[in-house]
Parts: sequence; structure tokens; C-alpha cells
Amino acid sequence: MTQTLQKVDHSALKVNQLFIISLNILAFIFNLPLLAAFVALVMGIGSLLKVPGFGFVYKNVLKPRGWVKPDVLDDNPEPHRFAQFLGFLFMTAGAVALFAGSSVLGWSLVWLVAALAALNAFGGFCVGCAVYYWLSRFSLPGFTKQPPAGTFPGMKPKVGASR
Amino acid sequence: MNLETAQILLRVVLAIVIIGVGSFAYWLVNQRLLVRARHNVFRLFDTLPNKPVLVYFTTPDCAPCKTVQRPAINRISNLLGEQVEVVEIDATERPDLAKAWGVMSVPTTFVLDARGEARYVNNGVARAEKLLEQIQAL
Repeated sequence: MTQTLQKVDHSALKVNQLFIISLNILAFIFNLPLLAAFVALVMGIGSLLKVPGFGFVYKNVLKPRGWVKPDVLDDNPEPHRFAQFLGFLFMTAGAVALFAGSSVLGWSLVWLVAALAALNAFGGFCVGCAVYYWLSRFSLPGFTKQPPAGTFPGMKPKVGASR
Repeated sequence: MNLETAQILLRVVLAIVIIGVGSFAYWLVNQRLLVRARHNVFRLFDTLPNKPVLVYFTTPDCAPCKTVQRPAINRISNLLGEQVEVVEIDATERPDLAKAWGVMSVPTTFVLDARGEARYVNNGVARAEKLLEQIQAL
């Protein structure tokens, strides 16, 4: 079965992940549940707008100045959006747990999101995307995309965008 | 030292430990990649070139390969000349090799010593300085 892939700028995704990692670690070190809630909020807004939450920093600051170069690949944007939405849910649960006084659960969830973002940013493996592709195997409504040809589900595609 | 500072320090230590554990896990994965590369080096050469080898996995449309990794490898080639062999593999043309070597994304570079043993792997872009350091450490 063939499917139409779209151009996905993985640099925007990576910047988003690096912001999530950095802010979550800072939130933990300085014991700032509000910062964790802020990260959750940005990820939630990103999910609503169908863009990487902190992608605006890349789009408005890093890319125009040439500090981060675009890395445009033929890929499905939907699994990345789903991954961010999953992250948003975990971050929200973490922030709620922190405000409710359950520090261990709250910070564990915050660290889990940071770890998964790090795996994606440094290892090129998107766990949320892998979950999306796994769910698509069961023909769940809304989970229609297949991994790009030759790409392990969740891994960054090897093939660049055709020009 | 007040209680607040002590708590921040404790959290810094905890963060370092957590990041350390994560880095160790990443190191373990890279070690596994090196073992796979060692087992599959015969797919690249009939006879070993008896000098360090830089194996570079790329694809024609990989943007960071063109803008960063290729210039870095050119620098290494210009600097070391015949002392190093550069083997470039297009993962779209040789998916079998990419799979055998455990390459999941591009660019990925491996540094092999003169005996053909894979000693370093770089997932993602590796700067010329880093590659040079790895080659010189062989």
C-alpha cells in the first residue's frame, strides 16, 4: 500500500525536544512544579495547533539566524503530533501530581517525558510514534499512517525529502 | 548552607545520576552497534586496507549530511590523505548493509582501526574534530 508522505522538518522537532528536556530538568532541580505545568501547557497548545510546542523558537529565532539548519524529511507528521500529545498527557499528570503533593509520582512522570524526549533527540527513536504505528496495525480510527518505506516504526526516516 | 540550597544541590546530584544512567544505557546501545559492525566488516572489504577506515552512512537527500557531515569528512580526507580510507555508503542503495550494521538514521559514522575492528560509532552529525580525535586515538 502506498501513502503520501509530507515534508517534516525534524530540526523543529529536535528543538522542541531539547526545550522540553532542559525545562524539565530545571523544573526538577529548582523544584518548580509551575515550570513543569508551563511545559505541559506549551505541549498542549502545540498539540491543538498541530505544531511542535516550542517550535516557535526554532521558526522565529534559530532558523532565521541560521543557528539551526532545517532537516526536512519525507515523513508522517501525525505520529509526531500523537507523540507530543502523549507527552502532554504525561506532563499534565505529572504537574497535577506535583500540585497535589505527590512529588515522587510527579517528578517521575516529568523525568519520563524528559527521557523519552532525549531518546528521540539523541537516539532518533520516537516512542510515541512507535505507539502510533503499533495502534495503526489494529486499524483504530485516526491511526491510518504507516511508517515510511524502509523505516523501523518510530525511527527517524533515513530518506530525505524529495525536491 | 541553608536547607533550600542543600535541596537544590541534592536535586542536581540526582539529575546528574539520572542523566548518567541514561548516558550509560546509550553507551551500551552503541557498544552493541560496534559489535554488529565488527561482525559485518567482511561485507565491506574482501581484504582489509590495513589503515584506519571511516565508514559513512548517508542518503542522497539527507540535509545535515550535505551541509555538515560531508564537509567534515572532506576535511578529514584532506588532512590525513592516504592515511585513512573513507567508505561512503548510500543507505537507500544498500539497505542490507545499513540493516546489518544496525544503522537506524543518517548520518552515522563508524571509525575502524587498521585491523578492521569498529572502535567508534557516531549517531548523527560528527564534527571533523571529533572524527580526527577518534582516528588519532586508534
